[in-house]
Amino acid sequence: MAAVIEVKNLRKYFRVHKKESGLKGSVKSLFSRKYEEVKAIDGISFEIKEGELIGFIGPNGAGKTTTLKCLSGLLYPTAGFISVLDFAPWDRKSEFQKQISLVMGQKNQLWWDLPAMETFLLNKEIYEISEKQFKQTLDELVELLEVKDILKIQVRKLSLGQRMKCELIAALLHSPKVLFLDEPTIGLDVVMQKKMRDFIKEYNQRFRASIILTSHYMEDVKELCQRVIIIDQGKIVFDGQLEKVVQKFAADKMISLVLAKKVNPREFEEIGQIKEFEFPKVVIAVRRAAAPLAAAQILQKFPVTDLNIEEPRIEDIIRQVFTGKSV
Amino acid sequence: MKILFVKFLPVKVSKYFQLAKITFEEYFVYRLNFFLWRFRSFILFLSLFFFWLAIYGQENNFLGYQKAQMLTYVVGIAFLRSLVLGTRTGDLAGQIRSGELTKLILKPLGVFSFCFVRDLADKFLNLFFVIFEVGLILLIFKFPFYLPKNPATYFFFVVLVTLAFFLYFLINLILSALAFWTEEIWATQWLFGVIFLQFFAGAFFPIDVLPAWLSRIIYLTPFPYLIFFPLKIWLEQLSAAMAVKAIFIGAFWLIFFYWLVSFLWQKGVKNYGAYGG
Repeated sequence: MAAVIEVKNLRKYFRVHKKESGLKGSVKSLFSRKYEEVKAIDGISFEIKEGELIGFIGPNGAGKTTTLKCLSGLLYPTAGFISVLDFAPWDRKSEFQKQISLVMGQKNQLWWDLPAMETFLLNKEIYEISEKQFKQTLDELVELLEVKDILKIQVRKLSLGQRMKCELIAALLHSPKVLFLDEPTIGLDVVMQKKMRDFIKEYNQRFRASIILTSHYMEDVKELCQRVIIIDQGKIVFDGQLEKVVQKFAADKMISLVLAKKVNPREFEEIGQIKEFEFPKVVIAVRRAAAPLAAAQILQKFPVTDLNIEEPRIEDIIRQVFTGKSV
Repeated sequence: MKILFVKFLPVKVSKYFQLAKITFEEYFVYRLNFFLWRFRSFILFLSLFFFWLAIYGQENNFLGYQKAQMLTYVVGIAFLRSLVLGTRTGDLAGQIRSGELTKLILKPLGVFSFCFVRDLADKFLNLFFVIFEVGLILLIFKFPFYLPKNPATYFFFVVLVTLAFFLYFLINLILSALAFWTEEIWATQWLFGVIFLQFFAGAFFPIDVLPAWLSRIIYLTPFPYLIFFPLKIWLEQLSAAMAVKAIFIGAFWLIFFYWLVSFLWQKGVKNYGAYGG
């Protein structure tokens, strides 16, 4: 299957001017400005196929949003190749723009002072959606997201969750083939997040749309994406199946056991690193390859009522990948 | 009936029609805001009107203008302020700064067309009220409004006003484009908006009441082609040759600004950081 999105060696550098703090710094910057080059994206490459739903994760400032902005044609790349649906996004051809959408959790395209319906009607004209298709898509989306009652209310009076849903509708009315979602669940409560996730999944499956999703919530990524791209300091650290993250970055496995009798904790030290000791519960980290042997040893030597070999939690691994330590 | 009308328009036009509609709706949300704006414009008109009325007193001739001509000039200012200087394009600078421009450039709709349509809506709405306001004053004071005698004058007037209309649109785009680089857009907008523009455009008084050397310098800038020259043509104080010359100089500025706008926007959009979010 052909790639819908193709990125090769993409770079985006920003020139930012640095100002020393305080009034003195401000005055100084009037006369001599220091510029510094920030490498927001520093040579990334990847491909995304039709119907794929990719999680784009990384710490703040890793370059996730910048990448999405380059892919949607907002930013002009410093170097590298981008092709989305066989278009160069930067050319901003109408034919291209009619097939994509970028939703940013912290940005709104809805007309603030008017009911959401007005934005929908304007988008209908701008994207040249036929009357029939508009009605059908709108009805579907309105039902899926349960927003029937709020379409006639001024956008500024809506709650964050309601607004986010309307944002999503406005972004999806033209049934984009490629969808960039930047923190779509930010600021939403747990129930709402879940609904949003279900909706994204459904949209992905029904329209075979390619979706890139960035999120701070691991739940979003865990539930929606099979493949993740981890980006840090403008570089791709990992690209592959979510489960593989664990194998790649987690050198250890966790053995957690429940003891029948008190044991001196020091005795576990020869087996592995003690992560937790709270009688009767003990958690020991052991090298991945050595896990079965260690478990056998423990069973032989100690009075154990229960024993489990577990993978470390994915959140922990990713956190450690970002902080630069191996687990 | 309305729906039918929209349907028969080619799709491309209905896009702009909808945009104009939504712009009007926005004005109706902020009715008070709009009425205060109209009130301000009306007061400005009244002060100019009474100022010149007082200056002339019993005289009929002053600074080369007959009383009727001067008062017609003041009425002309009120009209051209809406027709030429009415704009929403100034909002662009703020949108560039805040990153709101993002939502515009992601859509299959030109940023310039977007602004142009909103400008039209603004002009239309303001013009509607100006006709009403000025009409009221004219009825009350019953002064002789100057109507051109030569039919060619109307032609020249329309040409120059159209020129002014586009000229001002381009000037606004240029000023907004500065926001791609500078953070202090308010300073530039205020300086240009209030001092250069309104003063040099003749939006307070006719420029030729100034010393000749000063007015000659001002004629070289693009500003008097916005209000002063169209009104001079209306008052039939320019010979045909001079009118043609004014149109040529205005057209020169138009072409130059057109080039400058394309240049600045191409550079600027590349520089655009799409901040926020």
